[in-house]
Parts: sequence; C-alpha cells; structure tokens
Amino acid sequence: MARILSRRAFLFTGAALGGTALVAGVAGTGYLATVDMDGPDGFVDGNRAVLNAFLAIQEDGRVVIQVPRTEMGQGIHTGMAMLVAEELDIPFDDRISVEHPTGLLPVYTNYALSLRTRPEDARGPLLWAGQRALGLVPLIVTGGSSSTYGLWFPMRSAGAAARHMLLAAGAARLGVPVAELTTSDGLVRHAATGRAIAYGALARDAARLPPPRNPALRPVSAWRVIGTPQRRVDIPDKIRGKPVFGIDVVLPDMLHAAIRQAPVFGGTVAGVANMAEIRRAPGVVDVAVIDGKSLAVVASSWWQAETAAQGLRIDWAATEAAHVSSASLGVALRGALDAGGAHVHLQQGDLSASFALGQERVVSATYEVPFVTHACMETMNATVLIRQDGSAEAWSSTQSPMTLRWGVNRGAGWAGVEPTSVIGHVTMNGGAFGRRNEFDAVAQAAFLAARHRGRPVKLLWSREQDMTHGTYRSHAAARLRAALGPDGLPVAYDAMVAAQSLQNSAMGRSLPFAPSPHGDRLTAEGLDKSYYAIPSRRVRSQHVPSHLPIGFWRANGYSFNTFFSESFIDECALAAGQDPVAYRRRLLRDSPRHLAVLERVAVLAGWGSLLPPGRGRGVALEESFLSIVAQVAEVTVADDGEVTLDRVLCVADVGIVVNPDSVAAQMEGSIVFGATAALMNAITIESGAVAETNFHDFPVQRLANAPEVIVELIRSELPPGGAGEPGTPPVAPAIANAIANATGRRLRRLPLAITETIGERRTRSVLAKEPS
Amino acid sequence: MISLTVNDTAVRVSAPPDKPLLWVLREDLGLLGPKYGCGVAQCGACRVLIDGVSTPSCVTPLAEVEGASVVTVEGLSGVEGALSAVQQAWLEEQVPQCGFCQPGFLVAVTALLDRNPNPSDAEINEAITNICRCGTYPRIRRAIHRAAAARVQG
Repeated sequence: MARILSRRAFLFTGAALGGTALVAGVAGTGYLATVDMDGPDGFVDGNRAVLNAFLAIQEDGRVVIQVPRTEMGQGIHTGMAMLVAEELDIPFDDRISVEHPTGLLPVYTNYALSLRTRPEDARGPLLWAGQRALGLVPLIVTGGSSSTYGLWFPMRSAGAAARHMLLAAGAARLGVPVAELTTSDGLVRHAATGRAIAYGALARDAARLPPPRNPALRPVSAWRVIGTPQRRVDIPDKIRGKPVFGIDVVLPDMLHAAIRQAPVFGGTVAGVANMAEIRRAPGVVDVAVIDGKSLAVVASSWWQAETAAQGLRIDWAATEAAHVSSASLGVALRGALDAGGAHVHLQQGDLSASFALGQERVVSATYEVPFVTHACMETMNATVLIRQDGSAEAWSSTQSPMTLRWGVNRGAGWAGVEPTSVIGHVTMNGGAFGRRNEFDAVAQAAFLAARHRGRPVKLLWSREQDMTHGTYRSHAAARLRAALGPDGLPVAYDAMVAAQSLQNSAMGRSLPFAPSPHGDRLTAEGLDKSYYAIPSRRVRSQHVPSHLPIGFWRANGYSFNTFFSESFIDECALAAGQDPVAYRRRLLRDSPRHLAVLERVAVLAGWGSLLPPGRGRGVALEESFLSIVAQVAEVTVADDGEVTLDRVLCVADVGIVVNPDSVAAQMEGSIVFGATAALMNAITIESGAVAETNFHDFPVQRLANAPEVIVELIRSELPPGGAGEPGTPPVAPAIANAIANATGRRLRRLPLAITETIGERRTRSVLAKEPS
Repeated sequence: MISLTVNDTAVRVSAPPDKPLLWVLREDLGLLGPKYGCGVAQCGACRVLIDGVSTPSCVTPLAEVEGASVVTVEGLSGVEGALSAVQQAWLEEQVPQCGFCQPGFLVAVTALLDRNPNPSDAEINEAITNICRCGTYPRIRRAIHRAAAARVQG
C-alpha cells in the first residue's frame, strides 16, 4: 500500500510542479477562479486516467474520487462523491470509490475555513493574496464545518470539467460535433446513430485534453443526486470491522510505543528511578525521554510497551503551575468579568443611554462552564517511518495532512534529524471533534522513529494519557445584562465573556508566531445575537490564561457562548412575563430565515401544549458555521432531582442539503455530544493536573441516557452551510431552559447535573440540591 | 501455547497467559476489528463473544479463553460474507459515523438478541452499555428493534 500511495503522491506532485492550471476551470467566477490553482493536468497512471485533482476513471468505468478532507464520521467522503457524480452524470452506486489523496496539492487547500468565505464568492486583492499564501503552505485541514461549503463549488466543477473532457474525447472518437452528444449512466451517447461509448473507454483520451475554463454546472432542476438520501460509502466496511483507523496501521518490522507525559502541563522529566529495570522488561527495545517532557517505552508489541510504561517510576520536576486548580482558575475567570481593559468585539447604539432608559427592568446573570475534553473513542496515535536516506512516511488519524507533516518535522528535529521528504497518509478517524488538528502524538512518534531509522514506530496513547493530555475546550464565565423596554424586549444587551484564547493557544503550538490572545473572535462567537432586533448592544471579552493547552472542540466558542446567551434570552423572556418562543419570534422580526426555523421547531415540538407535572420544555436557537439550528429539549425532573432528557426536536437550515441522511446524523450526534457536555462533562484541574483519567470519572451518555431525537431540515436553495457543528450550540441552553420550565430553577453553570452511578457502567443525572 | 477457536478457526497462540485477549487478537492474530478504547471494560469497543457471551476482551487474560470459542466482529457475517441480521439492520439504519466503536456494539447486540430475541427499551438500556462519542444511539436503538424483527421473521 505504501509504495503505491507514494508513487501516486509523486505523480501528483510532479505534475503540479509542471505548473498548469487544471482546476483553473474548477474555479469559475471569483478571484480564486482566475488564478492558477496548481493542480495537475490530466495524465494516465496505470489503469487510471486521472482527469483532474479530484477524480480518476479506470478502464473498467469505475470512478475514483479524491476527497481532500478527513472522514471522521461526518460522511464527507459520501457527500463529496455525490457532488462529483451529479456533474459527471453517473449514478451514485458502487462504481464510485473514494480515497483521501496523499499529495498536498495547493488546490486541496481549505480556503473556505481560513479566509471565511466560499471559494466561489472570494473576490478582491486581499483574498487573492491570502489564497496564494495559504496554497503555498498548503493549508489542508478538516474543521469548522467547512468541508461541504468549501468544496461545494470545486467538487462539482471537477465533475463538470471531466464530463466536458469525456464529451470532447467522444466527439473525436465518433467524428461528430460535441453538440450532438449527451451523457447518461456513465456513457457518452450519440442519439442520431444510437452509438454509445463508456467513460472507461474514453477516459485515457480525455485525460490528454485541456480542461475547460468554466464548465457549466447543472441547474437545480436537473439534479438527480444532490438532495437525495444516499447510503454512506464508508459504512459497508464499518459494519464488518474492516476500515483502517490510525490504531490499525500495521507495517512490516513495526515497533510499538507507549508514553507517559508530564502530569502537570509544562512539566519535565527529572529522572527515572528504575530505568535499567524497565529497559530489561519483556519485549522492550528502548526507553526515551521526548523533548524533556515525556517518557516513551518502545517494544515489540504495544501491550509490552504499555505494561512496561506502567512500571516506570518517574520523577517529574516541579513547576509553578502545580498550585493551579479549577477553583483558582474559576476565581480568576470571574474576577476578569469585573476587570478593566476588556476587548470590545462589537458596539452598536448608545448602550448607557439605553440602560438608563430601561433601568427599571434590568436583567443580569452570570454563567460559567468548565474545561471539557473530546474523549475521541480512538485515542491519539501515529505511525512514523524515517528511512536511512532521510525520507519519512507517516500514517495517522488526523484532521490535517499538513499538521501531520509538521508533526513529523517537529519530532524528527528533536532527534536532530531533518527529513528530506515527508509523505502523509490520512487514515479513518475514530472521532475527532477538533482534537485531531493537533500533531502532539505525531511529533512524539517521529522522534522515536528518528531513533529507530528504517523501522516504523506506532505510538498509541492509553485512555488515561488521552484524558489527561487533551487540548481542552476552555473553561469560561460570562456576565450578561439587558435593559428591557416597555414591551419587554431588550433595548440594550451587554455581554462579557472571560475565557482562554483558543487561537492563541492552538496556533502557538504549531507556528513560530501566535495571534494575540486578546480579542480572539472564537472567544466571543455566539454572544452577538445579531439576528435578534436589539437597538443597542455590546460584546466584550477578556483573555484569562492558564497553563492548559486549549484546542478546537466541536463548535468552539459557541459551545459556551450560546449556552450563556440563549439561557439569558430565556431569562429576559421570563422577566418580561412572556413565552420564550413568542419572545424570540418578536426578536426575529427582521430575520425571516431564523424565524422560519424557530416556527418550525415550535410546531414540531407541540410548543404550548400542556406537559405533565415534573416535565419541562426549553427552546434555543443559534446561527453558526453558516447554518441556523433551533432545538426544543424536553426533560423530566423527578422529586429526587433526577433529570432525564426525554426528547430533542431539532430543525436545521443548512442551505442546500447534499445528503439529507448525513445532515440528520450530524444533528443527532451533535445533540448527544452537546447534551453530554451540558449534563455530565467536566475536566477538573487539581494541583496543576487533570483529575479525570477514564470513562468512569469522565462519564458520557450511553444508550440509556441518550434522548430521542427528531430532526427536520428546512428546504432551501441557498448555498450549503456547515452541518457538523451547528447542532451542538443550542442543546445546552435548551436543556437548561427546559429544567427552568420544569422546576422554576435557573441553572447557570455546566454541567447542569451531578452524575451518579447506578449499576454496571450506567449512570443517572441528578440536579444538585438548591443551596438553602 | 494456548489453544482456542477464533471465528470458527482453531488457533494456537504463543503469548503470555496474562496478555489481554484484545491484544492477542490484534497483535498475534491480526484481527483488528476489536478496538482499544479504554482498557478498563468501560467503553465496550473491544467486546467479543466468548462462548456466546459479550465480553470486554481488554480485561480478559488469554489464559481464561483456553479452549473457548471467540467471535469478533469479523466473524459475525455468514457464508460468503452475508451480513448478519444485526449488521443488515446497521446498514439499513445507516448507524455508524466514525465507526470506531461499532464492532463492540455489533457484538453486544448480537449477544443480546441471541438470549432475548425481542428486548424492550428498558432491557436494551440495561444490556447495551457501550460508548459511542459520535452519538449514534438513536439509530442504534432503531437498528436493534429492526434486527429483532428481522430475526423473528427470518
């Protein structure tokens, strides 16, 4: 496998260096369209005719689609293949297969995420320059729910360009004008003579033709694939235990490694009391300190490596952070809400005048959330091979082949080795949620590989290492204030959040420079409520540093700010004596798209119908990642405080839906993920270290806790938005609002409940007693 | 050497008797379907059938399965790879997202339906304690009921 993938990578790269503009055609209208996209011209590779960077056709007619985004459960390989199939005019069936490309072509760059614009909308010299710079990196990453809206235009254009090339090849073969030809079912047809040629028989000729500059895309009315529920291409293997995740990479002569990292972030290894003994343990071939911060045991099997690592008696050097706790960080957070010097993200209208006007009815509330971690089912791992000649190859369940390469270079550098080349293979990801943008495990594996040149080294973190060495969603606190006018609606809205900057922390780990932590937009996203008609508003943030690494986590700032803001809007509605849906309806008077989503979820939930005692309903809405989602949560709170999340009704407007079943699945998963965080999750810092170690003390929802979920998608002809994350932000406030509705108690701190164990591996959520 | 049957094939393994079955399957027998998720019988990603009983293989020493019949996710399909009723229901409901935990669910549900062909939701909640971080639970519940119905008819 490695050899074939390597060869293809070489071919792609080689062709790219030839420097032609394959997918110039792909680009269409905006500025991104007019520049050379650095993809390869068509070429023939064995039995494959590669028509462009996104697709190849085999002699047997099979179509192989290159999707430069990571499949981590969101179904992106299927959705992207559907886009190509639509434009290539082939049925969406098992003649299609999907691969993650190995070559790091600039055309695979995620412009949408980094420039915050759809490629087809990109215009202006700044975006042009940004696109060129990012293409040089190239910044290939899966995240920010951006894959569909970022590749919506390029993938369809790639399919359309290929179809045009096939038509041109068919015209030449048949000696007729292109205008007399049509396509269907993988054939080029000449109706007048009844002749037809299969794509597979034309592909080699087509690969030698120049790609069209601006291939026309099918109109909505002609779509046969987009918008229809299609079975996922990755599921048949997944029900047979066949897919290769990072943990499943097996290579000849491979070594296995286990690791122990400094319990306190930033800590270092002072010494090992029993190094000689561990080196003699069964199967152990090496014990190494990595970058001063961790110890790895390398052995001939992972079980031997991990068993030996469990016996390590490591002295960790004390650090200043050893006195830090969640309690002390909470004090700092809440203190920052009152401190000066906050960054102002947004200021509209005359806030103080509005507060003066509405001073008789001022609502104010303070909220707080803890650190949380991803707890991907597949723990962090990477496999790296560095050969004697300096060439390197890496395999990992990563969200980014770019950070995979950076990680190899970083780790090899610790060993004084500079790889001459790095080929990265992106495997299936066993959960990601933002965690797999990081290259920590990759760098560690690369360091070990540099010590064992010529042998692949697979490093796998134990669950305990994974739990205690995450890149966490920041803890955060916020204070929100509103002055209500005579009609009960806010005339002024003032939001202040304190959290640790995500962009500063994440980029500081991978780049030689990091953006200022102050004014990080990811700290404040979800607070502005721009779709609500409020005359004056202000959004501010404070950066509160800690020694913890902060990382991307499903929906980032929205994961806490929407809890704050949508809980608060509910508090405003109740203070005004109004129904929470009716209140939001009035606030959405200038936002018809949002209003439609709210109205629909209210109908779906039977909002307003009577519930038995002890039950409650809560609503919340958010626009994030270019999509709008509203949810109604239904809870039951028993006399002893046990809270059960019975149902979540979800309505989403994600624009045009590519694969409805995948979007629904993402909403379902987002709801379970968000509800788990809302009711159960906390990462606690004690003496500078993470206290939780495994699923017994970091409980998550299981089948018994999970709610019934009903999802409905709004029909739209607007371009697609994101789907992987927008379902998460509304869950926590919807649940908190439902608990308030059921009990009259307003809970302003996550997790909302205490998790109690009931029997083997089962839990229940119980509300804390009210402070008397 | 320890002898056992894995997916209907007799095997002899020369691994330490205290090596967990999970790592014997993955490292000595090349069966990568069972997954490491927690190492402490919390998550269920490693579940296999041992003489028909769903068991977390990460805490089961090799010595304990001497002479036993072990079935992994790879062994759930019938002749010529025909999907089992549980696998077919998983396909119909499009259950997996990332798919990492699903081998353990498929095994646990197979064992459940073997001993209780028509489980209630409460019985499902009691029996299926695996973890899925992608949150496929609503589909898993539907798929269990679908598989139960198919097995009754089939």
